[in-house]
Amino acid sequence: MAAPGYPGWVTRWVSGQWRNKKRPPALRPPRPLALADKVANRREQPTEATCITEMSVMMACWKQNDFNDAPCAEEIRMFYDCVAKAEKERKNQNEDTLSSRGNLPSSKVNKLLRRFPQITRYV
Amino acid sequence: RIMPVRWSRYNPSYLEPEVKKESYQKPLEELTEEEREQMELKAVRPIKAAPPTLSSSVFSDPMISKFTNMMMKSGNKVLARSLMSQTLESIKRKQLEKYHKAPENEKETIECNPYVIFHQALKNCQPIIGLSNITRGGKTYQVPVPLTDNRKRFLAMKWLITECRENKHRRTMMPEKLSQELLLAFNNEGPVIKKKHVLHKMAEANRAYAHFRWW
Repeated sequence: MAAPGYPGWVTRWVSGQWRNKKRPPALRPPRPLALADKVANRREQPTEATCITEMSVMMACWKQNDFNDAPCAEEIRMFYDCVAKAEKERKNQNEDTLSSRGNLPSSKVNKLLRRFPQITRYV
Repeated sequence: RIMPVRWSRYNPSYLEPEVKKESYQKPLEELTEEEREQMELKAVRPIKAAPPTLSSSVFSDPMISKFTNMMMKSGNKVLARSLMSQTLESIKRKQLEKYHKAPENEKETIECNPYVIFHQALKNCQPIIGLSNITRGGKTYQVPVPLTDNRKRFLAMKWLITECRENKHRRTMMPEKLSQELLLAFNNEGPVIKKKHVLHKMAEANRAYAHFRWW
């Protein structure tokens, strides 16, 4: 919508509401308009499952070959490689860097913010 | 006063003992840089005591020892070890019988080494994915999940042992039944392989739930 220039009927309707006491609550006392030193606690979304494509390829191969392992050796090897890679990735990831989704968990963010708090007054 | 300690944890600076004789017989020049550093580290750091199951003999095999330990009941290692050696002996006997009865062209295909048969049978019995219970919204689902190597080995050995303990005639001895099962597993037949296939089929049926995993 266009910024503060509202059409005439909107302003008249809003002031009518105000006269009927449907006004927005006035802030008493007003909090300082500055960012707080903490973030709300957010439930961390679970990461996605790894190696699903390899697994489905392997299962398709099994279905064709009556669950024998000999004809499916290549797919099984690829699945094992994928699993090993995912395991290494999980072990090596450092939680202080961004996770795969690009978000930090709220506890880590709060720790960082506590180290660099908002300056409320100058001394 | 000596305090009996159930669990003991070594200081993290203690290193694992190296038991293999071959690693000490290599002349100095053949070692790579990392191995030289490792040797120098070993000269300075303390080393943990070697556990009694770790041996440097050519006849010892970690998989066989693990299997014997799993077969052992109430600490009777002597009995478990004798059963294991009788099993290997009976495998060898059966294979030799087959070997001498076979025609000339088939003689090379018959495997006589019981250790090779044991390892191949265990490898054939190992499942590739397992199922784990994951609860979502009150309901528990069986989700297909990749297994670690240790878990696969454990499941293969456990299935073999339970199969041999339960599904046999009252008078068959354990070594005989075990050798039978191992030979069947070596040829990808038998009830243990069937159990593995059943597990794979269940995982395949539940593949829609694979996204419930978070690792």
